Amino acid sequence: MLVQPEFSVGDEIPALTIPITRTLIVAGAIASRDYQDVHHDAELAKAKGSKDIFMNILTTNGLVGRFVTDWAGPHVRLTEISIRLGAPNYPGDTMVLSGVVSQISQDGEQVKVDITGTNTLGNHVTGTVSFSIRK
Amino acid sequence: MTSYNLEEELSKYVGKSAGEPFVALDEVNLPMIRHWCEAMGDRNPIYSDPKVARSYGHPGVVAPPAMLQAWGMRGLGFEDPDKSSLRTTFDELMDLLNENGYSSVVATNCDQSYGRYLRLGDRVVAHPTIESISDLKTTGLGTGYFVTTTTQYKTPEGEQIGFMKFRILKFSPKTTFNHASNSTS
Repeated sequence: MLVQPEFSVGDEIPALTIPITRTLIVAGAIASRDYQDVHHDAELAKAKGSKDIFMNILTTNGLVGRFVTDWAGPHVRLTEISIRLGAPNYPGDTMVLSGVVSQISQDGEQVKVDITGTNTLGNHVTGTVSFSIRK
Repeated sequence: MTSYNLEEELSKYVGKSAGEPFVALDEVNLPMIRHWCEAMGDRNPIYSDPKVARSYGHPGVVAPPAMLQAWGMRGLGFEDPDKSSLRTTFDELMDLLNENGYSSVVATNCDQSYGRYLRLGDRVVAHPTIESISDLKTTGLGTGYFVTTTTQYKTPEGEQIGFMKFRILKFSPKTTFNHASNSTS
């Protein structure tokens, strides 16, 4: 019997639009235990050359992980998240996450997804997320 | 003016442990998981509902894998206001760069891999190493050095539970960095 595989190379993850609010930036920073002032104090962020507070990398990581498991389902297990940051996520901007399945192992149990998160300044994040499917 | 060669000083840090192994201040626990999931908007039930988590083969509620780094964060250093006992080799390196005008910092890369999902009650121990320091680079943000650390995450018993390669740019800002997309890393 031929079973339709759950994931195929080229599958696209429906885009997820995330409003970059001050609340998200601060909540993400504190939930990740990151008290660097540039993630919660606009005045100090400006004094350090930034135009405002900006999202920390741990929040980006959390959002990227959520983006993939929201789509793939609670049964998959993340094995790797690899991200590179570009344009900062400042309050008032919007980030759109998109992704596409780029690789599947021979046995079909290891899946790799290429992800991109863009805001009005350009690419905030590019990277890959890998997960395994538990049989 | 500094009376030493900065690049020579920086090279002394490469390959060094970034600090003593850091034992997470808190065990993996539900409140911190919930705060994380609220912030991220993550409604995956394996992070909140033990029955659902068990149905997917977990022993109970598990932590979002991306929280790996968060367990090993030092927070505000409440237990040591002077932070004297918390100061690490990595802090020394940051001070050296600050003294030389590279006072701003942004994270540029994070590669994490996960051994297994963390369960309630797990205690994470972070073992960080300074892997590399780049030559002086000019980026869209300003000039500075990329500092890469690698961290092994283990249980106190030595079980490997995760790995992270983390890169920051420690830089002297050009003007305001509202177009970091021009940066190179």
